[in-house]
Amino acid sequence: MTAVIETRGLGRFYGVGDTLVRALNEVDIVIEPGEFTAIVGPSGSGKSTLLQLMGGLDTPDAGQVLLKDKAISSMSGHELSDFRRDHIGFIFQAYNLIPVLNAAENCEYIMLLQGIPAAERKERVYRMLEQVGLAGRETRRPNQLSGGQQQRVAVARAMVSQPDIILADEPTANLDSQTGMDLLDMMHDLNRNEGMTFVFSTHDPKIMERASRLIHIEDGQVLKDERRDAS
Amino acid sequence: MSLTWTLAVRNILRNKRRSFLTILLISMTLAILIFTDGYIKAMTDVMVRSATRLYPGDAQIHNVSYLAERDGEKTITDVDQQINSLMAEPLVASYSLRALDFGMVSSSANNIAVQVVGVDADLEASVSKLKLSMIRGDYLDNAGSELQILLGGPLADLLEVDLGDRLVVSVNNYQSDDIDQRLFRVSGIFEMKSKFFDEGLVFIQLPQAQAMMGIGQGIHEIAFNLTDESLSGVKDLALWSRLATPQTVAEGWTTLMPDLAAILALTGYSLLIIGTILFVVATLGVINAMFMSIYERTYEFGVILAIGTRRTSVFNLILIEGFVLCLLALVLGAALGAGVTLWVGAIGIDYGSMDVSGVALAEILRPELRLLQFTELPFAVLVMTLVACLYPAIHAARIVPAKALHKSL
Repeated sequence: MTAVIETRGLGRFYGVGDTLVRALNEVDIVIEPGEFTAIVGPSGSGKSTLLQLMGGLDTPDAGQVLLKDKAISSMSGHELSDFRRDHIGFIFQAYNLIPVLNAAENCEYIMLLQGIPAAERKERVYRMLEQVGLAGRETRRPNQLSGGQQQRVAVARAMVSQPDIILADEPTANLDSQTGMDLLDMMHDLNRNEGMTFVFSTHDPKIMERASRLIHIEDGQVLKDERRDAS
Repeated sequence: MSLTWTLAVRNILRNKRRSFLTILLISMTLAILIFTDGYIKAMTDVMVRSATRLYPGDAQIHNVSYLAERDGEKTITDVDQQINSLMAEPLVASYSLRALDFGMVSSSANNIAVQVVGVDADLEASVSKLKLSMIRGDYLDNAGSELQILLGGPLADLLEVDLGDRLVVSVNNYQSDDIDQRLFRVSGIFEMKSKFFDEGLVFIQLPQAQAMMGIGQGIHEIAFNLTDESLSGVKDLALWSRLATPQTVAEGWTTLMPDLAAILALTGYSLLIIGTILFVVATLGVINAMFMSIYERTYEFGVILAIGTRRTSVFNLILIEGFVLCLLALVLGAALGAGVTLWVGAIGIDYGSMDVSGVALAEILRPELRLLQFTELPFAVLVMTLVACLYPAIHAARIVPAKALHKSL
């Protein structure tokens, strides 16, 4: 089976004064289709940096990232934008919806970039918002939605373009525990029912329990890669 | 409307105060440009009219050698033929025949060098503003006394004469090669609000001047006005060559008064200089406003770039925001500019007898509207705004998603 994302000897270094800080060092990870993977570790361990590099949002200083067997470093700016648009969904910690667009338009935006016809866009947006429990709230702008609802819109936005993988950076960090668990249940359902591949970072033990794979990372290095049955 | 346009419009509405201030800045630029253009146009028109219609006329015909040598013997002799040619031209509105030479005017108190001008009273009234400039006494009367003489108020003061007082005028007689002196009585005093004319010219009847100068029926100058005064500044107007003969030359004011033409050309640069200053200020203002808007939305740009928006689309988004802002500003600026120009045009600006570069502003300045103020100037402002948006747009397009989303993914 072709890996969705593969990292080989991945490294990202920062200079702090005369000291070289290795935010990531020699990270080798293979993400297979359908996985529900959590990258876990303490704050500052390199989780977000790893997700940024896996999503092509940053450039590695060493090694490479292969997206569906294609090296990110070989892609031009436009190719990388198009690749992210068509193959990767992002969920951000702070929701990061576009404030001047309503829930439906936020979801529709990425499909407009993809050139999907209006009728299909509308059908997919309404179906996805219903799936994440936001039917009837399509025309609300982000500031008219609760934090949990905004994150559901963010999930719908990430899902609606039918990417190969969704990368989520601590998606429940800004939510209360119950809303966070509900969101995670929803993501898990989408993983099981739709076969969507999820990779998310977290340091919440309750959330880790739901993951089918745990990649422990500390000081920029993978300490343990643990596959298990998710609850 | 495409999503980019929707985003642009909604982003503009997002911070209404900043958008309004930006619109105000751009619109004020256009409004000031419109008013400045209207003002400069009015000023140059008044300067040209003051320089031409006050006395010299839109154009003049001379003996081909007269202007170069100022030789009083170089007269126009075929006057009737010239008059027939002038009257056959539909572009010619009026003409005046003049005999002129430098001479001396003497009173019991003073002697002053002046230019003595002999004119046909009726013809002169149709070309210059001499008759309209009379402040005391009477204008020349062709059928009146041979002793009539008109002089400017300041010259009368220098000579310490008043209406009815006697003056002696001396000019060179080219026939006898002697000085011809004759007695005149001050019949009228004029004021053209130009030091050059008011202190330097005296007017007598044409036959008296011709007799004193000994030039027979000849004259030195035919001044004429055109039906369209703007044509008088055209150097290669076909009329000039049609009116020319082997002995005479016809020239518009730009050729006759090259110094004034050069001054007016420089005046034209005033709009360019003012426009450049305004553009620099407005450009910096627009750049500042757009950067503020971008810095506030760095996170969002990070998001839309992360989810697959091309950098060119972000670049276009900023340009479209600038374009929409500018369109709104152009409407406001055109209305403001037109309103102020019309208002000032209605009340007028009176400079009194002030000279600008030696030319009296003899009329009230009334700034006026013209087409280019609503075509070329708004276009220039639009280009300026888009140019001002380029730097912020490039900056926004080059945002690195990972840095923009530093606090999140």
